[in-house]
Amino acid sequence: MLKAIRRFFGEKASGQVARKRMQVVLMHDRLDLTPDVMESLKNDILAVLSRYMEIDDQTIRVDLEQGKEYTALVSNVIIKRVYRAGVNLPEIPLPR
Amino acid sequence: MAGKVIVVTSGKGGVGKTTTVANIGTTLAKKKYNVVLVDGDIGLRNLDVVMGVENRIVYNLVDIIEGKCRKEQAMIRDRKLNNLFIIPSAQTRDKDSVQPEQMKQLCEELAKEFDFVLIDCPAGIEQGFRNAIAGAAAAVVVTTPEVSAIRDADRVIGLLEASLLKEIHLIVNRLNQRMVKKGDMMSTEDIVSLLAVPLLGVVPESEEVVISTNRGVPLVHERGSKAGQAFQLIAARLQGENIPVDMGNNGSFLGRMKRLIWNS
Repeated sequence: MLKAIRRFFGEKASGQVARKRMQVVLMHDRLDLTPDVMESLKNDILAVLSRYMEIDDQTIRVDLEQGKEYTALVSNVIIKRVYRAGVNLPEIPLPR
Repeated sequence: MAGKVIVVTSGKGGVGKTTTVANIGTTLAKKKYNVVLVDGDIGLRNLDVVMGVENRIVYNLVDIIEGKCRKEQAMIRDRKLNNLFIIPSAQTRDKDSVQPEQMKQLCEELAKEFDFVLIDCPAGIEQGFRNAIAGAAAAVVVTTPEVSAIRDADRVIGLLEASLLKEIHLIVNRLNQRMVKKGDMMSTEDIVSLLAVPLLGVVPESEEVVISTNRGVPLVHERGSKAGQAFQLIAARLQGENIPVDMGNNGSFLGRMKRLIWNS
């Protein structure tokens, strides 16, 4: 009964929760991408992007997405303004 | 005042070691003890998903031992309790990357800061097992009422005794009272007399365990769960409370009252 009420108010069935959690866990296990690797990947993407555009670096997200036959790396970030080539391109060195 | 290092082991896999560590640890932390849970299963880590902290791992047990980070950096604080920590295992290393002597040293250091250090031992009796028991002062052996689990538990008890670990407790997990009554399952009494180790508690078979691991929230956070209550009583006994074990026949009035009070 309590469970039915909770469901009604939008609590997901635990089997679904488990499936979602395991998708993420197994993807990371298979690719062997640890959170610190993901963090430095995110920072590198930010550095490259900021050579071409002004971005809101607080909004960046880097996620792995599992399709049926592929794993995709999806990154979303809010662009504030794109630098016009040669005009106001700032000199930002790439990491390493 | 050093804390107590306890290894949870079984020999056989899949009998509920990780669930036991998660629930005992959470209960002890709820009772205001400082607790750290160590996943000893190098290469096959699972305590992180059972505790629901899989997304917050940066460093792991092997990193601490190899000196790549301080132990504080690898400790993940529990999502609900700020006096409960988890040290995850390494997923892509093998068991030989750690030596018993190194585990022993880490356990000693952890025992200085925590009241309880619970080690989730891998299945089997090889290097991973020897590492997990190296620093422990006490062992909790988990078994289910199945012949294979009991046989492995007996083997493990023998090995623990041989390594001079004197304090050994037994947990009977996944007992199906209905099947015992029909005579289709060994009873708790049967198992205790076979293994001849003092009984710490009996956990009934329960769907709630599956549901709570699905969500990554230990069962003892849930009110009114039979299996969760059993784990709370086990934790209470482990920390020195004298509460009689319910063998299925309810026991004395005093015992019932004590159980009631501890679970409230």
